[in-house]
Amino acid sequence: MNGILTRRGFLRLATLAAGAPMFDVRLPKGLDFTLQNSPTLQKYLIETMPGGVALFDYNNDGLLDIFLVNGGRVTSPMALPEKFDRANPRYWNRLYRQNKYGSFTDVTETAGLANAGVGNYGMGVAVGDYDNDGFPDLFVTSYGKNILYHNNGNGTFTDVTAKAGVAGGGWSVSAGFFDFNNDGHLDLFVTRYMEWDTRHSKTCGGAWQTYCPPAEFPATTNLLYRNHGDGTFEDVSQKSGITAKKGRALGVAFADYDDDGFTDVFVANDGMQQFLFHNNGNGTFTECALESGAALSADGKPLSGMGTVFQDYDNDGKPDILVTVLPREIYGLYHNDGAGMFTSRSLETGLGTLTAGSSGWGIGLEDFDNDGWKDLLVAQSHVLDNVEAIDQSLHYLEPPLLALNQNGRFERADSGITIPVAGRGLAFGDLNNDGWMDAVLTVLGGHPLVLMNCGGKRHWLTITLHGTRSNRDGLGARVRVNGQTRFATTAGSYLSANDKRLHFGLGDANTATVEIWWSSGAHQMLKDVRADQFLEIREPEKS
Amino acid sequence: MKHPVLLLWLALQTVSPEGAQHMQAGMEAHKKGRLDTAIVEFRKATETDPNLVEAFLNLGEELMQIHDFGAAVGPLERALKLRPDLDAAHLQLGYALLSLGYAAEAIPHLERVHAVEALGIAQIETGQYQEAVANLSAALVKRPNDPDLLYYLGRASGLLSKRAIDTLLSAYPDSARAHQAMGENYFVLRQMPQAEQEYREALHQRPDIPGLQMELGLVYAGAAQWDKSEEAFRAEAKRQPGNAEAAYRLGSALLQQGKVHEARAELERADKLQPDMPETLYSLGKAASLDADFKLAEKSWTRVIALEKETSLAAQAHFALAALYRRQGKTAEAQHEMQEFKRLQSRIEAPRS
Repeated sequence: MNGILTRRGFLRLATLAAGAPMFDVRLPKGLDFTLQNSPTLQKYLIETMPGGVALFDYNNDGLLDIFLVNGGRVTSPMALPEKFDRANPRYWNRLYRQNKYGSFTDVTETAGLANAGVGNYGMGVAVGDYDNDGFPDLFVTSYGKNILYHNNGNGTFTDVTAKAGVAGGGWSVSAGFFDFNNDGHLDLFVTRYMEWDTRHSKTCGGAWQTYCPPAEFPATTNLLYRNHGDGTFEDVSQKSGITAKKGRALGVAFADYDDDGFTDVFVANDGMQQFLFHNNGNGTFTECALESGAALSADGKPLSGMGTVFQDYDNDGKPDILVTVLPREIYGLYHNDGAGMFTSRSLETGLGTLTAGSSGWGIGLEDFDNDGWKDLLVAQSHVLDNVEAIDQSLHYLEPPLLALNQNGRFERADSGITIPVAGRGLAFGDLNNDGWMDAVLTVLGGHPLVLMNCGGKRHWLTITLHGTRSNRDGLGARVRVNGQTRFATTAGSYLSANDKRLHFGLGDANTATVEIWWSSGAHQMLKDVRADQFLEIREPEKS
Repeated sequence: MKHPVLLLWLALQTVSPEGAQHMQAGMEAHKKGRLDTAIVEFRKATETDPNLVEAFLNLGEELMQIHDFGAAVGPLERALKLRPDLDAAHLQLGYALLSLGYAAEAIPHLERVHAVEALGIAQIETGQYQEAVANLSAALVKRPNDPDLLYYLGRASGLLSKRAIDTLLSAYPDSARAHQAMGENYFVLRQMPQAEQEYREALHQRPDIPGLQMELGLVYAGAAQWDKSEEAFRAEAKRQPGNAEAAYRLGSALLQQGKVHEARAELERADKLQPDMPETLYSLGKAASLDADFKLAEKSWTRVIALEKETSLAAQAHFALAALYRRQGKTAEAQHEMQEFKRLQSRIEAPRS
């Protein structure tokens, strides 16, 4: 592997001056998935919204595997609940196990993940080890019912939704595991988009016959489930205060923005103010986006929030918020000023130029060039598949946006994707374990794009957290490496789940100082950590 | 029915007793608002005294009142035949004919009595747009902000403009002005590539035309191509250094790209060229805030609020001030501005819900 890496590194150096692309775009052998959104003339809104992707190592063999959520096809639109032909293998969600040399094998059936239920049109996926058994579990969201798959640790999964009590209902979109009460058990947050069904669907745009904007349908509430630690969850949406606000939620991300030791929740809402649920530390949340400065654009306008990420872009140690939106808005960047306050910095960071004409979905802040600054990658495409007929300056298909972070300002770079696509989900992880972050992007009606980082010579460090008092994967921990901070989470982006490992670019540094603030309250520091390695750090058992 | 007593007196001078009786009954019915009875009585008066001009006029006016324009034409024409200089009959006949769609026939009657509003409307129908604009403008002086007048004046102006452009396009289809006009059409239709192409062609032929670069810049701004819009607005600002809008547009394009210092300079220049423009002041506040000149930002946004008071731009200024005060740690001020923002937002959004 090292030989290949070195060769790649030289290749990249040789071509950097000519503006070499960041990624080698591939469709690896065996990854034969097509995202079936099944568009109709009725313009059912669900058709333009899927689908999620998860990068996770389900069998703990050290290689990231790929789970892809499929949409479905409406077979009985006027009879509620609708049916979506999910028994047909064409519409199955798929799990692809990564083989030794970068190819994939479809293990969906043997893993027990085939039919996601005829009443469910697939949306997104969350990954978390909810029972702390060392094997990552899957939560799949749908229009319909959601499914929790327990990873049995032997290559198979079991649908434990009924026992766990997390089926939900309505139109669920992005979800994420996090430990909101720091009890060591991962809880679950599920965003829901709106009150909608095919019978009450309609088209908009007059003769253009377009998908309707979200304001045409009633807002709805999100879901929060508390993990009892015995395989069951309790719906605490109401008593936690989450349902106090109705929204049109699409994205969710977690971080402890005010450093009070409790993980907070940011929810990207479509066509209205964004939500920032402050964790009060007593099992309740207070929505405070407007007062905190993270609700609206700099001009006080609502955003069409879709995807979101809650990480520190400017290396000041505090998590910032990015939100992807529709054209003629600008992707929202809310800088964490400290003391619980945010300031819109979309213009200062260059997002005005980069994003005002684009529609963004999945998003991530990852250090793709390992220079010590987190870069931006966004899956893009307009919501309306006929938008060009309405406004020729807009485009349905768009290339993803890659923007490199130059000391806190983003500048467009060549992703390597030359063909515009209908991008939706986007997940990040180091697929080939070369120390350079890769990504997988889902495409409506098409194959996923696997973006393999072309690599380089800079140093890196990738950390796997092993919680003992905290949850098993250390989600919610704050990790600082050579002045950079990451918040351990698999959530964020849109509909998708990222590699749980924390990746840091180290630039020219051969060593690193690592500090970890675990959600249990434990603090750990490691000095002179060698660069260019995958490091597992175990949480101290006693303080 | 402006002079019923006078008309009655006049009628009674020459009318037969029976005719006078019907006239009187008609007048009384009119006073009581019983228009149907008035019509019957005035019609009987015309039948009793076929030369009684006042009876025909009154009958025509009553029929106009119940919007039976077709029936009113005959009595009014008869009244004018009997007395061609009767202005009241000309006015009513002009209205009646116009209402029935006989605009050309209505015009002489309306011209005679200088009924500029109705005349302007009739002239729109007959394609006399220039005259229509003049007459409707005159009418608007007497009744400013009248919605009907404003609508017709806008329509007349638009049609006049369209005719001029049509003439331009047919007579000089490849001229710079024709390309400019086409560019404007495409811009309105949001067909940006075509608009850009037309403006480019116009600029190729006549780079000296003021405003062309500005229009091209607006095309790029509409497509969020801020670097290109900056280039076009910069060219316009260079060509017209005294044009405040060019400076404002350039400043806004620079601001969108995060070029804070340059944006601020242009916006300050725009503000000097044309002070108290709310949009300029709002953007200047943004540029100043990004440039960490909180005093100027506060001053600019406060001025926007003073100028705009309850509009959505004022709401934006309150929101921006709240963020500014938060950054400065002025919690009470920030809360006040946020409350004002919420108040205005609820007022602005209320009609929709």
